[in-house]
Amino acid sequence: MTATSKRVPPTRQGGRIVCAGLAHDFVNARTGESVPALGTVDLVIESGEFVTVCGPSGCGKTTLLRAIAGLITPTQGQVSCDGTVVRGPGKDRGVVFQELAILPWRTVRRNIAHGLEIQRVPRQEREKRVAYFVGLMGLSGFEDKYPHELSGGMKQRVAVARTWATNPSVILMDEPFAAVDAQTRLTLQEELLRISLLSSNSIMFITHNVDEAVFLGDRVVVMTKRPGRIKTVVPVPVPRPERTVEAMADAQFVSLTDQVLHLVREEVQ
Amino acid sequence: MRARTEAGAGRAPAAPWLRPRGSAARSPRVPRRLVPLLFAVPFLVIIVAWVLAKSVFGVSDAALPSVGDVIRASGQLINWGILPYDVSASLYRIALGTALAIVIGVPLGLLLGTSRYSVIMFGPFLRFFRAVSGIAILPLLIVWFGFTETTIQVAILYTALIPIIFNTMTGVRMIPRGYADAIETMGGGRARLMRDVYLPGALASIVVGIRLGVGYGWRALIAAEMLVGVGGLGSMIFGALQFRALGQIVAGMILIGLLYLIVDRLILAPVEDATVRRWGVQRG
Repeated sequence: MTATSKRVPPTRQGGRIVCAGLAHDFVNARTGESVPALGTVDLVIESGEFVTVCGPSGCGKTTLLRAIAGLITPTQGQVSCDGTVVRGPGKDRGVVFQELAILPWRTVRRNIAHGLEIQRVPRQEREKRVAYFVGLMGLSGFEDKYPHELSGGMKQRVAVARTWATNPSVILMDEPFAAVDAQTRLTLQEELLRISLLSSNSIMFITHNVDEAVFLGDRVVVMTKRPGRIKTVVPVPVPRPERTVEAMADAQFVSLTDQVLHLVREEVQ
Repeated sequence: MRARTEAGAGRAPAAPWLRPRGSAARSPRVPRRLVPLLFAVPFLVIIVAWVLAKSVFGVSDAALPSVGDVIRASGQLINWGILPYDVSASLYRIALGTALAIVIGVPLGLLLGTSRYSVIMFGPFLRFFRAVSGIAILPLLIVWFGFTETTIQVAILYTALIPIIFNTMTGVRMIPRGYADAIETMGGGRARLMRDVYLPGALASIVVGIRLGVGYGWRALIAAEMLVGVGGLGSMIFGALQFRALGQIVAGMILIGLLYLIVDRLILAPVEDATVRRWGVQRG
């Protein structure tokens, strides 16, 4: 927070997530039947890492994220964050949801400040951080608008800013750009990469879009179809600062994307 | 119509079964200055019918007072100080009853709405009591509290409370689950959920509940005043019956409707405008 004002204040080390033998079944309320949603998953997200999770629809990606967030209690196994077992939602693990997450009755400014309010950050500090993220996410001039006055892309910018503002050590993103048009999506991806480089939070990003997974992730976790297990983990050897939408056309990226696409398609058949 | 002329003037539609461009199916917006005029139309129709009934069909004064009778009766009631007294008595009662119903009903509805079990448990229960109107419980209230102010107050409170609880409860159930998830992942607890999600999220529904509550409460109030007879508009029109003062009765009826419209427009509509309409979450 001193001279390094380029970094998201206050900086701290990203959290380390360990999923050990994680599995989850959903119980059908009507039949009482138990439906496996997530197979057995062992996954480590290292401190400061950007991991994308990619797999066919319904493979349990979201279930995995919700288990790490503490929004569901897994049927088997456990999640720990920096050595502490996860027993419920906590402010160390922020979540950016797909949609319907920023509150319609709060303005952009108050939505971004929401986590800070909950965590009792003093007003002055709160305003400073909100101003920082409004600038960073290109929301200037929209501070006093309500969500229904914003485009889908703008809403997701607010959601991203709200989560980053509280600076959780781990950020979990559940297909945050899935409902946004393709052009805006590319812009949002680039912005996300940029923010991820300003901070040291560990990030897990769920998507069913292969291009997105390869473009953003340090590693791409490919999942099998339901009940989802980890099929393969594909490292992306290009450092994050060197990635641009243009660079995605390079042979190395193209072959990686093809590889992941092939892996996912095997599961869709 | 517009679509047809467009198609006739320009190129033919791509296919006859496609909706024509310019969307003739969607009705155009009503111009703002037309709105009060449209409001007035049905009232004018009924007044014309009333005048015709008297002048053309010659309905007797014993069955229906003339417009002039009603205006004259209103003037008398105002001059004698009866009308201001009864109006303020009724308005005071409805204000107190509704305020109590909101203070009790909204927190109770929020509490019930947050649990799936309580919604199932209390749904039919509340519907049952919604059917047993305030008028139906009046005899019992008179046994308990006598011909007193308390009887009237309890009747209003009971009547207004049910729709407020019910609508608050169902309003909470309709809030997308994601909002609460988001608060929890930011470290928010139950108090935060109540204040930041359930109350504002259910507000559209709560306002509908209050509107219904005031409407039902107003009806219960008039009926209770008729039976209990301690002043108020209900008391006044029932008293006028003894003297067959039909002008007074009709003047009272008109006032009962008019006052409700004023309460609804002046108090409830601005609340909606300032909140749910601004947030883009109003229903209906």
